Amino acid sequence: MRRHVFAMLAVLSAAPALADDYATRLTAVAYDGAMRANVQGDGHVTASLTGSKLTVQGDFSALPSPATGAKLYSGPGIGVPGPAMLDLELSGQNEGTFRGSVTLTAAQLAAFKRGHVYLQVNSQKAPEGNLWGWLLPAHPFAGPNVPVEGHGFIPQLDVPGNWTEK
Amino acid sequence: MRAFVMMIAATAVTAGFWAASSSAQTAEGPFTDAQAKAGRAAYAANCGGCHQQNLSGSGDQVPLAGPTFMASWGRRPAKEFYDDIRANMPYGRAGSLDVATYQNITAFILSANGAKPGGKAFDGTSATLISAVANGQIPADIANPPRRASGGEEGGSTGRGPAMKLGHTLVGNIKEYRPITEEMLVHPDPNDWLIYRGNYQAWSHSGLSQINDGNVEQLQLKWSWAMNEGGQNSTGPTIHDGIMFLANTSNTVQALDAVTGELLWENRLGPVATRAYSALRSLAVFEDKVYINATDARLYALDAKTGKVVWQTDIAPPGRGFNETGGVIVAHGKVIVGLTLCRGQMPHCYISAYDARTGKRAWSFTTIADKGTPGGDTWGDVPNDMRAGGETWIAGTYDPELNITYWGTAQAKPWMQASRRSGTAATLYANSTLALDVDTGKLKWYFSHAPGETFDLDEVFERVLIDHGAQKTLMTIGKAGILWKLDRTTGKFLDARQTVFQNVYDGINKKTGELSYRPDVLKQRTNSWISACPSAAGGHDWPPTSYDQKNDLILIPLDQSCNLMLGHDVAQHTGSVNPEGEERVFFMPGTDGNMGRLAAYRTADMKPVWSFQQRSPFLTGVLSTDGNVAFVGDFDRVFRAVQTTTGKTLWTVRLPTTVQGNPVSFSVKGKQYVAITTGLGGGSPFSKPTSMLEEVHKPDHGHALYVFALPDKLN
Repeated sequence: MRRHVFAMLAVLSAAPALADDYATRLTAVAYDGAMRANVQGDGHVTASLTGSKLTVQGDFSALPSPATGAKLYSGPGIGVPGPAMLDLELSGQNEGTFRGSVTLTAAQLAAFKRGHVYLQVNSQKAPEGNLWGWLLPAHPFAGPNVPVEGHGFIPQLDVPGNWTEK
Repeated sequence: MRAFVMMIAATAVTAGFWAASSSAQTAEGPFTDAQAKAGRAAYAANCGGCHQQNLSGSGDQVPLAGPTFMASWGRRPAKEFYDDIRANMPYGRAGSLDVATYQNITAFILSANGAKPGGKAFDGTSATLISAVANGQIPADIANPPRRASGGEEGGSTGRGPAMKLGHTLVGNIKEYRPITEEMLVHPDPNDWLIYRGNYQAWSHSGLSQINDGNVEQLQLKWSWAMNEGGQNSTGPTIHDGIMFLANTSNTVQALDAVTGELLWENRLGPVATRAYSALRSLAVFEDKVYINATDARLYALDAKTGKVVWQTDIAPPGRGFNETGGVIVAHGKVIVGLTLCRGQMPHCYISAYDARTGKRAWSFTTIADKGTPGGDTWGDVPNDMRAGGETWIAGTYDPELNITYWGTAQAKPWMQASRRSGTAATLYANSTLALDVDTGKLKWYFSHAPGETFDLDEVFERVLIDHGAQKTLMTIGKAGILWKLDRTTGKFLDARQTVFQNVYDGINKKTGELSYRPDVLKQRTNSWISACPSAAGGHDWPPTSYDQKNDLILIPLDQSCNLMLGHDVAQHTGSVNPEGEERVFFMPGTDGNMGRLAAYRTADMKPVWSFQQRSPFLTGVLSTDGNVAFVGDFDRVFRAVQTTTGKTLWTVRLPTTVQGNPVSFSVKGKQYVAITTGLGGGSPFSKPTSMLEEVHKPDHGHALYVFALPDKLN
């Protein structure tokens, strides 16, 4: 179901590259074999941006240990971890929900629009991260066995600041 | 280089930590002597083939004893190491051993790092820090294990390859063999498949159209053939006049009737595969001979009619761990071959050429520049014998008109700039395209795709030669997923296009092709995690592209995962320059957990035409045909045909294990066939989904060849 939500949002990608609505699936944080058992689970996050006000909500399930926190982080690039910027309201344990809102500073807003902000759920057995997902602008999404025209991946080329051609 | 076995991973370590703790240990290890002894035998059977019996590692198979191991694991509990090997090992069949065996292997590896056995058995739960009981000092009997006696039978005890009798096990008697001329190689008959990528230009395209987008759904299995188990099976057959030449693991070459599957001859050259890598990606044929580079860096010419060895020669000094997996090409009467596993020793890796009739070496070109030679200043102060990498593990291509052969090279070692101590220098000729004169080996030009590369993102893969009118171009794509277009006459940069999300580079000079790194990549330090998309699995990896000239489409199998990488701060020594990196993997942002992507780009203007994603990555090259169908296989056992112009799936079949290798097409007596192999051990593109796609189940055996065709009567 969650995947369908994501896919639908993504397929509606005729929207401008910098849309107001954001969504992504939460998947395991970076792990090695020794960590794998503690970073299981699934989740989903949606966000909306009105002016500089960002509202975030989502859910998670099947964590191996109870959740201890959900936060927004901002890194130096898409897929690049960075420091926490906002604690979210959390409810539930191995499954649950989170929500929160924040008025972004100019720098945070710029980072957000470049896809550098991500949501991370921490848990007792994975206190430094259990699930995460980057809040990305809507982009073409080529689903399983459903070819799409065009490049069909994160529009890095179209997001100012992430890629420069001199 | 090609892969990163995720055997070793660790939390951040501080520089010199393990060294500070490397004094003699007094605390008892959390295991018994009986476990360590049992673990030694289990290690030899299941791990030693890749990581070596003395635990020194080999290539990307990291050392499991000594400073590299302690740098990775010193600060982690024994339990985590045990959890890691249970989750990931043995390579290609993770989790296949029983619990006691994993515990015993853990005990042995601790003892091999100087830990002393105690009175309490290791049960997989010990929170004892490895550095509290081990110091990385390897006992002499482990560091220098007794050598096995040589003989005519090998395998079984040192790796995955089962014991087998070596030698010319079936002598052939092919009566009427039509020798292959240079003209036949330059203009290959579409009924044949004479060159590993179909033609000298590496198009992987068949001019046959009997199987097309209107009837491909009727494809049927005609015959199949079980292949050697053990090692990495990622080959593709060569076909001439209805005779199929097939490279198996353990350096076994077979000739088969391409219509019936009947074995015509077999020569088991050996050595038996002892590691889960060491692919034999291709054979070459010319005149009346079949050429194969064995994985022990030995080049053979076999009689195409009988399988008898006509000549053989060492590509590199024997007994020093050199290896070759890329395959060979024959161009203008010369057999040209690369070299891998050059681990910080002299000679460096090189490309070399041999007279096809005699085996006499004609020339060699060293892919690492030493001090005082052209490009030698691009390694900073790194001593010559510490300059490592530049392997050539994919066979080159050839332009007969220019008489130039084109090769890609792997990245420098250790992987990360900070560990390598070479700064952002280009480390020539690593991660470059090399254009060499076929007759002399002289460098005509080079292009450095990724100067100072730092995430094991090779640019070593196929160089595809495409003409756009009078313009002769070369296209290639590396692990970063950047599709390059160069002028292949001069090496001039023409264009580049990202085909998959990447965050390593943040810009490109459109005139020169020079990439700029993300700022925090340039500020990297050892013992600190840093993120990279794609991961060391690519982007694009060894499964090659296909070019359909009629539609001007290049079809690219792409792989979507990211990683955090950490570089060690460990002194290298001659003969053993290791990758010195650790890795943690994660799904690529924006992919919804889909690791596989197949994409088509128009080469004239580099425009994306179509793509689709799926959960499992593709583990074969792509074969396009004049029937507007393209074939590709994946990690989850699916072999499929898509419509070339749209990407729409037209036909699928589920095979017994991972579909891995290079599909080919040929025709005999008017009937078109499509052949593909299944296999295991495909490096990072295989190990990453093994770790990440827990819902995908496949047998840990099943190397085989499958041949499909349309029924005699179409519906």
